[in-house]
Amino acid sequence: MTAAAATAIRRSRRALGAGLWPVLPAMIFLLLFFLLPLAENGLQSLYVPDAAGEPVFSLDYYVRLFTDGYYLGVLGRTIWVSLLATIICILIGYPVAFFMVRHAGRWNGLMIFLLVAPLLTSIIMRTFGWNVILARNGVLNSTLMSLGLIERPLRLLQDPSAVIIGLVHVLVPFMVISIAAVLKGIDTRLEEAAELLGASRWRTFREITLPLSLDGIATGAIVVFMLANGSFLTMLLLGGGSVVTLPLLIYQQFLLVQNLGFAAAMGNVLLVLAVISLFLQLRLIRRDGGAS
Amino acid sequence: MTATASWRRLERRLPILLLLAFVLIFFAFLLAPIVFVVLVSFGDSEIIAFPVTSYSLRWYHRLLEYRPLLDSLWFSLKLAGASAVLAALFGVPAALALARSRSGLADLVSTVLLAPLSIPMILLGIALLYKLSAIGLGISFTSLLIAHTVVSIPYVVRTVVAVYRGIGRNYEEAAAILGASRRQTFTYVTLPLIGSGIFSGMLFAVLISLDNLSLSLFFGSAQTNTLPVVMLSYLQNQFDPAIAAIGTVQMIIALVALLLIERTVGLKFMSSPS
Repeated sequence: MTAAAATAIRRSRRALGAGLWPVLPAMIFLLLFFLLPLAENGLQSLYVPDAAGEPVFSLDYYVRLFTDGYYLGVLGRTIWVSLLATIICILIGYPVAFFMVRHAGRWNGLMIFLLVAPLLTSIIMRTFGWNVILARNGVLNSTLMSLGLIERPLRLLQDPSAVIIGLVHVLVPFMVISIAAVLKGIDTRLEEAAELLGASRWRTFREITLPLSLDGIATGAIVVFMLANGSFLTMLLLGGGSVVTLPLLIYQQFLLVQNLGFAAAMGNVLLVLAVISLFLQLRLIRRDGGAS
Repeated sequence: MTATASWRRLERRLPILLLLAFVLIFFAFLLAPIVFVVLVSFGDSEIIAFPVTSYSLRWYHRLLEYRPLLDSLWFSLKLAGASAVLAALFGVPAALALARSRSGLADLVSTVLLAPLSIPMILLGIALLYKLSAIGLGISFTSLLIAHTVVSIPYVVRTVVAVYRGIGRNYEEAAAILGASRRQTFTYVTLPLIGSGIFSGMLFAVLISLDNLSLSLFFGSAQTNTLPVVMLSYLQNQFDPAIAAIGTVQMIIALVALLLIERTVGLKFMSSPS
């Protein structure tokens, strides 16, 4: 072997690993305490205790999840609640992001601060805040009563609408941030050109701005959907049992029934939803990379 | 100016004024729950009722009397600090290698390192409880530390990769050309340049850890109760403004941290979704 060939081999080896060895400790740590536990959890859910209490291989938990009307309802509700929250976040978040990027000017920094600040207050505190607002003798009811609009307090808590309000409140900043990031990248000359050519402002928005910002909507939607899918605190504190979703059921299974195998199976269904979202997100990012 | 001219001007600006009104309502919606919790925390009433008629610090005194809330805050801060340090020890070398790597493996590695962000916490909690019980750690500070470090690593990696990519290679190359050894270059050039990135990544990790209910839930015991777990059980048993007071204390800690991040690297790293 010539010296040149040896150098070439060394170079190609370096290119392959390219000095990636410093990632090893982190990778090993996550392998042991992230990937392995998730995989074992997947296996665990396939073993159901038989009459003698011995775990035997069985798809029982999954069969129950996908055939029993109650669990199918829970699954459907999980997806439906997350979808509804996502759609409302898009409808509310888009105008805010648009204003932030196009009209906020020097207020932009303050707007970002106000958007991010709630994300850093305890989620329990924010949910408790909605309790304070929506309770029988809460802010909303006492305001409406003192204005004479209602005679007795409305029942606003322990209701699906309270859950949706709470979810949207927690998740809408992610949507605004995702849409704003994409809107910022749109060349405003395209919009100017459309208006010069006689398009109305509405038409310019509909045919130029909106299509170009679809990527931001999609990214935000995936993030919001995924986070909504995994949350149970909002359902627990604002729903009062009126909205039972998969994570809430896992929480109850774990704390009350202590059926860990079944909780694991439900967790895996949740994981499948997350992986689908993650896959969609990766594809979006790839496409972005290809375009720019 | 004629009436029609000013009417036309108003008509032209109307969409933007409507948009502004919408944005103001949006921020009222976003901030209202927080503002009301803070108001309630300074109230004097035994029950949570509006309007707040008299103000006092009695619920903050209550925090000092009823120890579990403050104790768990202290426990949570220790846990958050320790997991952030551990996450930095694992995450910073990985981030530095990833930021400059052109290897095809780098994509896979960064997907794995960032993946804990995308997994439902409640599932990770169950899975880790199984695993850690199986290897004899069970419900302990060590278990919580491991769980929180898993979730903290992505925040450190993401921030440090972004900062390190942003500074380019020029400084390090200049140091090397001027005769600095690799070690000197790292200590005197690289580390100071990425210091702010490490710091803010760790701060994010601390804030996320402080608020992480879904993960800590599974490792709760009298000795290992984190703040969110104690807050939740307090809320479910007694619904009084003490919970507002501890929430306000936590918020102040978070806001100070947020201002520190703003001062060091800015908030933009927080906002990038992946």
